[in-house]
Amino acid sequence: MGARSLTTMSPRLRRTLWIAALLAPAVLLLATIVVTPILSAFVYAFYKWQGLARVGFAGLENFRLILFQPPFSTWTYNAFLHNIIVFVALMVVQNGTAFFLAAALSKGLRLHRFHQVSLFLPVILSTVIIGFLWKLFLNPLFGLVNQTLIAVGLASWAQPWLGQPSTALGSLILVNAWHWVGFPTLVYLAGMQRIPREILEAAEIDGAGEWTRLRRVVWPLVAPSTTIVVILTFIGAFNWFELPYIMSGLEGSPFHTTDVLGLYFYRTAFGTVSSGLQDFGRGNALAVLIFLFILAVSAWWIRLLRRREIDL
Amino acid sequence: MKALLPRLGAAVLLAASFGHQAIAAELTFWSWRQEDRAVYQEIIADFNKLHPDVKIKFEAFEPTTYNTILSTALAGGKGPDLIQARAYGGLEAFAKPGYLLALDKTMVPELDNFSADALAAESMREDGKVYAVPFATQSMVVLYNKDTFKSHALQPPETWDDLIAAAKMFKGMGMMAFANGTATAWQNEVLMGGIAPSFYGREFNADLVAGKATFEDKRFVDALTKLTELKEYLPTGFTGVDYPTMQQLFISGRAAMIVAGSFEIANFRKQNPKLDIGVMPGPAPTKGAPRLVSLFVDGGYAINAKTPYKDDAIKFIRYTATPRFGDLFSNKLGNVSPIKGVKIEDGLLAEVAKVNASSAPYVMLVNFRYQEPTGSALIQTGVQKMMAGQATPAQVGAEVTKGIAAYYKPFQK
Amino acid sequence: MLKPWQTALYQALLAATTLVMLYPVLIMVLSAFKTTGEIYASPFALPAAWSLQNVATIWRETRFLTYLGNSILVTVTSIAVMLATGTLAAYALARYTFRGNEAIYLFFLSGLMVPLKLAIIPLFIELKTLDLLDNRLGLILVYAAMGLPSTVFIMTGFLKTVPAELEEAARIDGASEARILARIMLPLSRPALVIAGIHNAVPIWNDFFFPLVLIQSDHAKTLPQGLTVFMGEFSTDWGVLFAGLTLSALPLTVVYVLLSRQFIAGLTSGAVKG
Repeated sequence: MGARSLTTMSPRLRRTLWIAALLAPAVLLLATIVVTPILSAFVYAFYKWQGLARVGFAGLENFRLILFQPPFSTWTYNAFLHNIIVFVALMVVQNGTAFFLAAALSKGLRLHRFHQVSLFLPVILSTVIIGFLWKLFLNPLFGLVNQTLIAVGLASWAQPWLGQPSTALGSLILVNAWHWVGFPTLVYLAGMQRIPREILEAAEIDGAGEWTRLRRVVWPLVAPSTTIVVILTFIGAFNWFELPYIMSGLEGSPFHTTDVLGLYFYRTAFGTVSSGLQDFGRGNALAVLIFLFILAVSAWWIRLLRRREIDL
Repeated sequence: MKALLPRLGAAVLLAASFGHQAIAAELTFWSWRQEDRAVYQEIIADFNKLHPDVKIKFEAFEPTTYNTILSTALAGGKGPDLIQARAYGGLEAFAKPGYLLALDKTMVPELDNFSADALAAESMREDGKVYAVPFATQSMVVLYNKDTFKSHALQPPETWDDLIAAAKMFKGMGMMAFANGTATAWQNEVLMGGIAPSFYGREFNADLVAGKATFEDKRFVDALTKLTELKEYLPTGFTGVDYPTMQQLFISGRAAMIVAGSFEIANFRKQNPKLDIGVMPGPAPTKGAPRLVSLFVDGGYAINAKTPYKDDAIKFIRYTATPRFGDLFSNKLGNVSPIKGVKIEDGLLAEVAKVNASSAPYVMLVNFRYQEPTGSALIQTGVQKMMAGQATPAQVGAEVTKGIAAYYKPFQK
Repeated sequence: MLKPWQTALYQALLAATTLVMLYPVLIMVLSAFKTTGEIYASPFALPAAWSLQNVATIWRETRFLTYLGNSILVTVTSIAVMLATGTLAAYALARYTFRGNEAIYLFFLSGLMVPLKLAIIPLFIELKTLDLLDNRLGLILVYAAMGLPSTVFIMTGFLKTVPAELEEAARIDGASEARILARIMLPLSRPALVIAGIHNAVPIWNDFFFPLVLIQSDHAKTLPQGLTVFMGEFSTDWGVLFAGLTLSALPLTVVYVLLSRQFIAGLTSGAVKG
């Protein structure tokens, strides 16, 4: 039996090689640059650290501290709760708005190209500049929001938006929506533009109004876009870091009411300049827990959403 | 060929034995002080007048990422030769893993130029060795706008009542008495640091360390209560006033006073050279009582334990411990140098040095930022809550004590 | 098709959104001409003097053009590598059933769930071993790898929706797998490529954390990294930063405006064929 040439190879083998060739570069790149370092980092969670010196095996101690030992556990659950609030709020406010904006854009009305570009402009900007810009807008003394409220006679509504527990997180969520709404809009728009015109026209002939068409035809048919938007928003909400960092600081001011897992993780793993110390073991343990949580929920979501796509 | 290798080997060994350090290339010197880049070039130039053969390259990094950049490089074996390091717990984080070279009096005789406290700030508690040469002391004080006070014929207040009277007057005229806000977490600790020590007294710190008192002590709770009395003289919506806003309010002259660190002086002057800044300690409870500022060491210069240029690095470190360097440092960078025998030319800075003579240690940084949860993190959250009306001074004291007691033996009953 | 009041509502929604989006951007651009003090004193007024002082400072204190060039090089190459390898992998996962499909898909997705920042130390050491430190290629590989999970996710999602009939017809005609991929699948996925590209290009372009840690030499620094020079310990030169970040946003904006044309062209062709 001599060597087989490519053309005389069994179709099965050829198919396997083809699939392997498609997957190999990406798998290799990810495994080397991302997965290997992350696995090393996860191993660190099982050790005790002082600064960046490993000072002994800790077993599950770091995990215990995060989950059960106040004040660490209090911070954990507090941050976790905020992440959930952020996710739900973003789904409704940011992605809900995005759906309607996409619907508006898909009509091809006058000036729609201009609107599409301006809608997406904030997405391109650096979070640093956006965070600072909105801090200026929300400044209690000379911010535009308060100045406008005073000017229209609603002076009693002028308040320190970022300084109060009741309004701080909400303000951050709205700023995030302002920053990113362009992206899910685009994803929904892409989905909507793939809907064959015939289906929409048939629905109209059947007497369905615009709102009914949106609810019964468009929404189910953009299920693939929804899957993408839900998963990316979920993961983004739980990894949320840059915007709260710029606008609230690493501690989630005021007094941890805007604290989220991303901030909590960063100040635990790397310390802060002006208050906390780094605890590398605990930081890594927190990351492991966050990862497992996101992995479990995402896997479940994806299965659910995929089934929905197929059903629809 | 066979004979060549051993001969080559011998030649190499011979060459290597001529120097106990690598041939001097450029020493790298890392820092987080981006604002000081130009002055450090001058400092290096001055150093080169004494040691022309030692080349140093100064590199500054974005301050909040500096620790990560430095630790990663050190962990990866690619750290700089000279390191600007923090003090207290921040220093131990780098000294403990063995990244820094221990300094002693034989290596650096100029260590005699520093007080015991300054050296303690740059030592590791467990072995008592010094790991960095301190470069500045800072204090939490009250800065005030001299022109504003003059134009209202006001003297800088000495007692608490004087302060409130002055603040009331400013408020009545529609001016901001204080620029302070509580939105930025660490500024709450600064606020405490500038006002509280005069009220809890000099002995409190020693009592804390010895375990004779905790933060639930009446002295501390009373001091915190004083802070709450300032609320009506802070800007409207002060819970939303963050650090840059605070600074701008004072720099632009819209606020008459600000409880701030002495490190703000250089920055304020740069942004508004016409501003006539005055400095005073926090007010005394009663006339004649001592007025205390919170004092701490800002950081130090250290040597990478693995540097191949040990001798040259030591030359530079020794230079930074001399009054010659201290003069240059203080006068060009506007900070108080801890070196004995430094002549401060600037009037305002000399005032600061004078004010620093009556001080208490900056309690959380100096004693309680070595382990999590740090005293700093706890007091920042606590004061922020208190000023927002969501916690009483007693509750803050209790929370801080509870958090620290988890690891601090003297608090554990 | 639409009742007039419905058209009006949609137009109102779009107009309101555009206003809310553009006004802050306008403020950002105006602030580029102000000093930090002026930004705080009169944040919403026109600049007192349209001074180019901030731009001059950037020019003087940073190697702006070098950094800009590096940012372009790093971003474009990372996106190219990421889209190429990611699309191939997504195609395999979307159009072929095989054992381990779900596992490999989850493998890719898991990369999205953990911030790579966490592993900065092992990553640094690994890059040092591969001699990729202080090297734009190292940075490119890091960004490309970081972008793979979302790329695979988005591309798989879109590729799955291509009707099987197209593929079958081509196979019957005797087209090879490679040809199917190149001639049928890729053109149809243009909008998805744009989405995946933009989703990653923006954070890569604006990132300064990884360059700060992995790149030391001045000639290899990227633009956001170069601009951090104006972030001091106690004071940040906001006027200069605004100018710098505004300039930094320009290339991406131009690219997006050009691409949005592509986007619409790609979309309609997809709908008609389907």
